[in-house]
Amino acid sequence: MTDALAVVLVAVAATFVWRALGAVLVGRVDPDGAVVRWFALTSYALLAALVVRLLILPTGSLGQLPLWIRLGAMAATLAVWWLSRRSVLPAVLAGTLCIVAAAVVLADG
Amino acid sequence: MDRSETASAALAGLRGAAGVPMLLTAGGMAGFGALAHDTGFSGWQAVLATVAVWALPAQVVAAEMYAAGADLLAIAIAAALTSMRFFPMAVALLPGFGRPPGGMAGRLLQAHLMSATSWAFMMRPAVPTAPRPRLAYHSGFTLGCISVAAAATLAGYHGAAGLPGPLALGLLFLNAAFFMVLLADSRSRQALLAVALGAVLCVPIHAVLPEASLVLSGVAGGSIAFALGDRWRRRQ
Repeated sequence: MTDALAVVLVAVAATFVWRALGAVLVGRVDPDGAVVRWFALTSYALLAALVVRLLILPTGSLGQLPLWIRLGAMAATLAVWWLSRRSVLPAVLAGTLCIVAAAVVLADG
Repeated sequence: MDRSETASAALAGLRGAAGVPMLLTAGGMAGFGALAHDTGFSGWQAVLATVAVWALPAQVVAAEMYAAGADLLAIAIAAALTSMRFFPMAVALLPGFGRPPGGMAGRLLQAHLMSATSWAFMMRPAVPTAPRPRLAYHSGFTLGCISVAAAATLAGYHGAAGLPGPLALGLLFLNAAFFMVLLADSRSRQALLAVALGAVLCVPIHAVLPEASLVLSGVAGGSIAFALGDRWRRRQ
């Protein structure tokens, strides 16, 4: 089993290297170049995969809830986001409330 | 540029952060704190991650992959792929500060404090444009956010440990909710294609190679969207 502190330090290094590279190369690179665009798209795809792993294939406590409830909370989040004209806080609150309410009902039943 | 002017710009930055930016940061980091608890980090390791990584996707990726038993190299690659956005952000943001005090160390400090939220905020017209007040504004804004984030991480961590089960599960849902909204907000068709591909590819890849599924889905989805998108672009 990998050590948790080592994991944190690896994440620190993996993030800081990009910030430092930007600070060093200021004025010498094109922020809209092909390489930057590929990385941006890859990070979007990776984050989407992360959402799938967190909600559809969870390793932790969220797995206690049935899949349909997790999918319902995802749908509620996106629906409220859309209906509230793309505001983040109501959307996140709505999805979170779905999870809490479902967990309360399941715990009682 | 006298000292009181710098101080008032820093205070203006702090006031700019108070409100929606701090609420968003606190919500995301409380979710990370809960996840960190769920995956077996200690409280101070969770706070260290928030303050020293200061990038929610990389933090969540690292915690999630740690829980899944991935090795350090895989975690490093996945975290680096999500954090690449800081490179173009730094290139665009830092010239506005002129020559910061402390030379390269000062510039690296500002690059570290920068977040996606602060970056978007700094592009608004209300932010001072002269280098020194702009630097002070950015410092006030980001130091305010990072302090709130550290407290929220600890609160989320202890919330996951001590709150009743349903509320703890709600905290755990926060990360995914924030990322979903962030991804849905991408305006370009090419980015939405990358999002769809990453989500769809993750399930079969995860069944075969669970430890590498994040990196593989990201690279495959991103590359396909990149190749298709450049073809679209050429046709237009």
